[in-house]
Amino acid sequence: MPKLMLVEDDPSIREELALLLRNNRYDVVIPSSFYRVADFVKQEKPDLILLDINLPGKDGFQMCTEIRSFSSVPIIFVTSRATDMDELSSITLGGDDFITKPYNSSILLARIAALLKRAYPDSFADHGLTYRGLDLNVAAGTVSYQGKSVELTKNELKILHYLFLHHGTIVSRADIIEYLWDNEMFVDDNTLSVNVTRIRRKLESIGMGDLISTKRGQGYMI
Amino acid sequence: MTFTFSEYIKDKALTIILNILCMFFLAFYLLALGNEAGSVALILLVWGLLLAAAMIAGYLGRKRYFDRLMETAESLEQRYLIAEVMEKPVSIQDRQFYTLLRMANKSMMERITSIQHERRDYKDYIEQWVHEIKTPISAIKLICENNRSDATRKVLSELESTERYVEQALFYARSENVEKDYLIKEVPLSQCVHAAIAQNKRILLSNQMSIQTEGLEQTVYTDSKWLEFILDQVLINAVQYRREDDPSLRIWAEDVQNGVRLCVEDNGIGIDASDLPRVFDKGFTGQNGRSGKKSTGIGLYLCRRLADKLGLELSLMSKRGEFTRVVLCFPKGTFVKVDK
Repeated sequence: MPKLMLVEDDPSIREELALLLRNNRYDVVIPSSFYRVADFVKQEKPDLILLDINLPGKDGFQMCTEIRSFSSVPIIFVTSRATDMDELSSITLGGDDFITKPYNSSILLARIAALLKRAYPDSFADHGLTYRGLDLNVAAGTVSYQGKSVELTKNELKILHYLFLHHGTIVSRADIIEYLWDNEMFVDDNTLSVNVTRIRRKLESIGMGDLISTKRGQGYMI
Repeated sequence: MTFTFSEYIKDKALTIILNILCMFFLAFYLLALGNEAGSVALILLVWGLLLAAAMIAGYLGRKRYFDRLMETAESLEQRYLIAEVMEKPVSIQDRQFYTLLRMANKSMMERITSIQHERRDYKDYIEQWVHEIKTPISAIKLICENNRSDATRKVLSELESTERYVEQALFYARSENVEKDYLIKEVPLSQCVHAAIAQNKRILLSNQMSIQTEGLEQTVYTDSKWLEFILDQVLINAVQYRREDDPSLRIWAEDVQNGVRLCVEDNGIGIDASDLPRVFDKGFTGQNGRSGKKSTGIGLYLCRRLADKLGLELSLMSKRGEFTRVVLCFPKGTFVKVDK
């Protein structure tokens, strides 16, 4: 599980962001004091750092410089001060990405995942997901069960991927649609129904027809 | 104001009348002493000529002086600075006016400076406020994301509007400024369009807007944040003035002769032909604004201002009851692109 370090001065954002990251399968560590962040980095060795720029005492740029003196860990600057100067400084000081508040949580997660994949191509690559013997190969866009495999379209792949990530819980139709929109697929309610029907038919062809169950009025579940 | 001879003479009327009176009395006196009329006439003639010469010389001198001053003033960018650059005049009256002018100038400069300060302070305050309000907005967003339900989905939808109003305040403050707050980079159109859609995801979804995008692979040279703001306003207009059944939005880009054209077309209620020429005016709400839909007349006005600053051409065409199409034209850069 990738370990993320969160440096943020606003307590409610810190807590909620940590919760969001933990819900998305990240290990989150938070330094107790802003004055010994560098020592904390040495001690915890995080895989990625989310760094706020406006911090009491020492600002994020100074911290970044300090951390860069001994480590090349990926750093994402997160700030509400979205001036071009800040963006420029963050790049020149060795930041890897720059996100402005209020950020879209799915965009933040996507940036984190992309940066991790780039920095550690071997450790955190998307190897696909497995659930109840069913393999979802995201890179190839296929799903296979007991040696039989079937190809999925882009929409179908994303829907199934989302269901796989949240297996065991009921996923509402609105959540799936929002997830698809975040991935630049602007489907509406009807298209979603059509897509789910197609996925079911494809799963049936490889012998897993009963995977997705419909919870009336609530959504889908696998 | 031109400095004519007749005006000058009118100004000097008192001197001239005094001279004529003196001439009259002198002639009377000399004649009474028994002088010949011929020699008296000669004296009067010489006097008159001298007076005329003095008047003409005086006029020419003054005219040259003021013409030079006018010329200097006109060559100045800030005309009110004339008192700072003009030479100190010689005559006592001119010096009085000179002192007055400098005094008036100084107090005006102080006032201008203080107003400029106030404006800058206010703009700084707005920018800072906008940045600060973003922290609680982020927190609310995260709390809602972590507790998904229909209620939080509605909160998030309202939050999208809040964010838009906040951004509007920020960009209004920026658009007033003469400084250039933007950074031109090469950006893919798809990135800006998708960001604008993502920002209004919930509002678009809850109004059943269907969206099609085509041909957005092109890149343009612009400031992505400014472009996103413009698209944001255009998208929300499309939602606000949508048709009841099956509202849809189509976003596409096309190459034109001297650049790239980004079009956003909805199938909404459209705009009256009579309102079209004024949609970019500040505070203009038109027929749609009057017929119950909320309209502030700020959104498109700001879009036009920002587009002008970025050097983009923003236009709008519409047909009542059929469609509204907003077109942004990005001129082709004159820079040579260097392959990395």
